Formats: sequence, C-alpha cells, structure tokens
Amino acid sequence: MTTAVDTKKLTMVQAVTDGMRVMMKEQENVIVLGEDVGQNGGVFRATDGLVAEFGEKRVIDTPLAESGIIGTSIGLAMNGFKPIAEMQFLGFIYPAFNQIMTHASRIRARTLGAFTVPMVIRAPFGAGVRAPEIHSDSVEALFTGMPGMKVVVPSNPYDAKGMLISAIEDPDPVLFLEPMRCYRSTKMDVPDGKYNVPLGKAARLQEGDDVTVFAYGAMIDVVMKAAKTAEEKGINCDVIDLRSLYPLDKEMIAESVQKTGRAVIVHEAPGTGGLGETIMSLINDTSFLYMKAPIERVTGFDTPVPMFALEDHYLPSAERVVQAIEKVTQF
Amino acid sequence: MVEVKLHDIGEGMHEGEVIHFFVKTGDSVKIDQPLVEVQTDKVTAELPSPAAGTIKDIKVKEGDVVTVGSVILTIEAASTPTSPSSKAEDKVNASEQPVVDKIVKAPSNTTFAGGIATLNKRVLAAPFTRKIARENGVDIEQITGTGAGGRVTDQDVYNFIENGSVPKAEEKIETEAPEEVNTAPSFATKNAEEIPFKGRRKQIAKKMVQSLATIPHVTHFEEIDVTAVMELKKQLKAMDPENKRGMNVSVAAFFVKAIQIALKDFPIFNAKLDEENEVIRLEKNVNIGIATDSDEGLIVPVISHVEQRNVRDIAHDMKDKITRAKTNKLKGSDMTGGTFTISNVGPLGSIAATPIINHPEVALMAFHKTKKTPVVVGNEIVIRSMMNVSMSFDHRVADGATAVMFTNRVKELIENPYFMTLELI
Repeated sequence: MTTAVDTKKLTMVQAVTDGMRVMMKEQENVIVLGEDVGQNGGVFRATDGLVAEFGEKRVIDTPLAESGIIGTSIGLAMNGFKPIAEMQFLGFIYPAFNQIMTHASRIRARTLGAFTVPMVIRAPFGAGVRAPEIHSDSVEALFTGMPGMKVVVPSNPYDAKGMLISAIEDPDPVLFLEPMRCYRSTKMDVPDGKYNVPLGKAARLQEGDDVTVFAYGAMIDVVMKAAKTAEEKGINCDVIDLRSLYPLDKEMIAESVQKTGRAVIVHEAPGTGGLGETIMSLINDTSFLYMKAPIERVTGFDTPVPMFALEDHYLPSAERVVQAIEKVTQF
Repeated sequence: MVEVKLHDIGEGMHEGEVIHFFVKTGDSVKIDQPLVEVQTDKVTAELPSPAAGTIKDIKVKEGDVVTVGSVILTIEAASTPTSPSSKAEDKVNASEQPVVDKIVKAPSNTTFAGGIATLNKRVLAAPFTRKIARENGVDIEQITGTGAGGRVTDQDVYNFIENGSVPKAEEKIETEAPEEVNTAPSFATKNAEEIPFKGRRKQIAKKMVQSLATIPHVTHFEEIDVTAVMELKKQLKAMDPENKRGMNVSVAAFFVKAIQIALKDFPIFNAKLDEENEVIRLEKNVNIGIATDSDEGLIVPVISHVEQRNVRDIAHDMKDKITRAKTNKLKGSDMTGGTFTISNVGPLGSIAATPIINHPEVALMAFHKTKKTPVVVGNEIVIRSMMNVSMSFDHRVADGATAVMFTNRVKELIENPYFMTLELI
C-alpha cells in the first residue's frame, strides 16, 4: 500500500518559506523576526506572504541591529516562543556573535538544563551570486566551534524544508545556513505538509568505491559535476552531502572512508580553520588505518571573498575537485 | 666518551649556576647517580649520570654560570656490566670501546638483511599498506617499495608475502627429499632462461588447478553457421559507417546475447554448485565473463546484467573492458560476479579446445575460428562461414544431453539472429 503525498515543485527559497508557514500554522509560538521580513518579504523574499497570513505580531520587522534581533530572540525563546531570526546575510551576523556565543549556545549548560533556547537563526551565505563584499562570507566554522549550537546547511529544496522544520522543533539553537547560489538554481518536488529531515545526518548522493567526496551547500553541485567527470575516467566517487556541520554525521563519514580509503573534502570557506580540518581529524581518529592516500581539500583561499570579477577564481571549481580526486586515487 | 650537558630543566631556561659537584675526576659512577647540582632561576636540580663509568674531565667550576647545551663533564663509559662467569670472556674480548659506541656499532657486525640502515629509516607507506603488512606478520621496513618515491605499495606487500613463503617451501622440499632417489624431476639447468612463477601467472595456475581438481569437466563440440550474423553486422555497419549511432557492434556481442537467451531455457548452466550446503544455486542475473588474453596472461572481465542489456550496450561494454584488460586497468569490481564465461579465441585461430571452467561456475563456451567452408544446404553445396564451439560443463551439475540442447539453442539463435528479436525486453 502506498500513501499519496501531494507535492509542489519549489525552489529552495520557496521551500524555506513553506517550512516556516507549515510550522507557524501548527504552532502559535513560532514567530519570525528580522530586517525587512514583514512587508518587504525579506531580502530574498524568503518570508514573502507570511505577514499577510500571520499578522505583524508574528512576523516582525526589526531595526537594523543584529545584536538586538538575536538578543530579543534569546529572551523570547527562554520564555516559550520559538523565534526564527533572519540575518540578511551571514556576513552581517558579527554584531550578534557575542549574543550567540555567550548566551544562546550555552544557556542550557549555564542553567544545568533548566532552560533551553529553541530558536533558529536563518542566514543566507556563500559566494557565487556576485554580491558585494561581506555579503558572500562563508564563516560557518566560527559557529561549528561553538558547543551548544547546531549548524546545518541544506543543498536542495526538499532538505531545506524538512531540515528547517526539524530546526524549529529542536530544543536548542540552530544556525540554519542557506546557500544563496541554491536559492533559485533548481526546483524539486517538495511535499505540501509537514515532514522532517533529521539534523545530524549526512546524505549519500552517489555510491562509489574509489574515493569519498565530502561537501555541503552550494558545493554539492560542483562535486556532482566533478564526480561525473571522474566516473568517465573510471573513478567511482562516494559523494556525501554533510548537511549537518555540527554535529557531524561521524558514522557515515567513517563508514564511507573506511570503504574507499581516500577522501576529498570540498568547501568554499577558507582552508585554514575550515570544516575540512575537523573532518580530517575525524578521519584520523576513526579511520587512519584504512587510508590509502593523504586526504585532499579543495577550499576557498585564506582571503576574504574577493570582488565579483575574481569570485569564480576563489570558489572551488569542478576542475579543481577532479584534480584532487585524481591526486588521491593516483597516489 | 659520554658528554654530560646542561639540558633544559625548567620551562625555557637558557642558563644555570653550578652549585655543587657530587663527584670528582676519576670517580666511578653508576647510571642515574647524581653528578652535579644546578641552580636556575626557577629550580635547583640534580643532574643524574646518563652512563656508568669513570669521571674523565670536569669542564666547569662550582659557581660557574653555564648555558643550556654546554658540556659540564665527560664520562668514560664502562664496558657492559657482567656477571662473574662472563668476566673471563670480557678479558678475551677486551675492548676499550665505551658502551655507547658498542651499541651504535654492534648491528653493523651482524649479518641480518638490512643492517643498521634499516633500523634508522622508515619506509614510505600508506597506513592501509602498513595494516596489510602488520596483519600478515610482515616487517614492512624490510620491503623495497616500487611506488612513487620508493613508496611501498599494497602490491609490494602482497608480493613480499608471496615470495617470502616460496623459497622456504622449496628449501623444505629439497632438504626432505632423500638424496638417493633421483626420480624427482630436476629443474636445474644452465641453458634455461628463468621466468619468475608468481603474480598473475601463479594466480591463474592456482585457479586452474582448483577448477580442474574440483570439477569433472566434459567438453561438447558443435559447429555453427555464422554467415547470417556476420551479414547482419555488415548491414548495421553500413547504416552507420562512422558509428555515430553505435551500430558498429561486434559479432561476439551477438554471441553473448545468444548465450544469455539460451540460458533462460537452460538455467542449470547459469548456476553455482554449493557442495557444502548440498544445493545448486541458479543465478538470477546473467553476468558473462569474457576470457581475455593480456600481456600478463588470462584475465576475465565480466559483462554484468546481460539479461537487461541490448546488443549495442553489450558490445560497448565488452570493448571497453577488453581494452582495459589488455592495458591492466580493470578494477576488482570489473572481474567479479561472473555466472558464465565465454572464451572468444576465434580471432587468434583455433578449431577446438577443452576449456577449463571458471570455478565455481558450471559451464564455459569457447568460440573458435570462423572460416568459409563448403556445406550442404538442402541439396546444394554452398559456401558458408562456419565456426566451431567447445562447450565445457560440470558433469556433476548437468548431463551431456542438456549441454547438447543448450548448445543447439545457442546455435539456432546465432544462425538465425532475427530470432533474438523475439527476446527483446
């Protein structure tokens, strides 16, 4: 017996809106706040239509003050609300960093579990959309080193809605990163109602035996192209979409590299201090004796994201990923 | 001679004052016996003796401030402490060399392979390769790597394991064989070139022995008229001369398809015999192994799921895998899962054979040389392209009559290739 599920073809940004709508309908304590999220529908129209449907008391336009948005959200979350705070861009989150680091992420520990902070911070991020300086930063690693804070990145519309619903239902703060390049790059069948994609779980996008390629967010499209080229050269890639950067899906990472013995990690954030280093450590801890070649990383460079004329040179390309795949397989 | 230097005894100290010597020149000292007391800006510490021996030369005075790394005194190290019974031996081998020198030099006098150099050097190898070595009880440091930069590869370890055991076995045979018995064949001759019997050749040998020792082989022969299928190939090629639509397919691809169709009627030849559990397993998939001759010997890439593939796809896959087999670029997964094997020796030229079955499969069919031959069709003698086939099968699993019927079905399909269209999925 099968159960029919109504679906709609949605872009990622539409799936995000839909996820919020579903949860706002279900739970009255779910509210949205941020700059221009109300009448304007958000800088990327992610909150489009929500104020008309749920009113200004639940979709709140705030002053241009990230610290205030997050600080307010923390207080609301500790008092029975489930706030979804929108940062216009991840690169604008720095004024709120203190609120996140010293309060949101550690109130559960500070109060010995008496209080939690069930809030979601949505933040578009990443380069490749020709945005000005700071708008394109990939600083996810600043937050993965922050115990108490979950950090997740969907790479497609289906995951975006299901993971956002899981994030809203999570009892702890979740930084929900939305790769701008993916916002409107693809459409996918997304179920109408509520469904969950669990946090903390990676997804295997392609099965292969020769090398594992790890990526997330906008880099998934790049590594899938690279994996196709590699396949034409006789190299079969196990492609893993990490989805959850903290906590990482340690089991799947270890299982995959223990199968292939080789790993390539791809992210657009700078290499130094990037998530790739954490994954390398994890592989070292769990799977050292299975490794047939040193791990390769294909990352952005240790510079700020350059102006758009140089953006394509900064971002990992499928060619660079293929080179890394060949390097580890030919080692 | 052992030099006792002021080492860093505190966090980042760079000098210290010598407060007091516990020893003087000529004193005998034991290992760890306090030699000197040094005062730094953080601690007062006693420096113990690193060796047993006699104080030879005290380089500084009490009250001197010395920097880290400076020599404070030297010790003439004693010979190895001995028990009374071995003292006589000491006299015989009287040596003035201090212990430390002996330790360094000793290995160079030994005869084990590698010598001192291997003790100090670490070979290059990936963790996985080291794991293979360790699990097989092999000291990886003794292996000479053939990989990039002298790196030890997985294959180097496997070769070492294989070759390491071979000489021992041979030695044993030679020493155990009674000398007076001269019936054992002697391989030693001055006028022979030696080819190492290892690697791929040895694996093939092992597999063949296993197959022939396990399976009672019977080979059935038949001749097949391939005129029609060759004509079909020619027509397809003419319609797509530049192969833009992939219509330039090999005749062998039709043979593979014919076998797969015939196996549907005779699944007993697409099976494996599990003697231990007393069961014959009829495989659901038809994965045809293609016995291929390469520079390194026989290799059998597998065309998987032939039952789900069309002739063009089979032809393409065969071409790719045979090319890779000949250039040694096949992966392990390309050579596993076979359920039936064909040996297309025709291009090499042969009229018959008794091929050995690819254990644990049940049957194998060899296709031989095609040649134009006068044959009787109806009441006329005509020239047709004829080819012999040799069908070896496991007589434990199937009988001759079944093999004949199977071969006849293959023959029917090849002689009338349009019959295959009835089997299109």
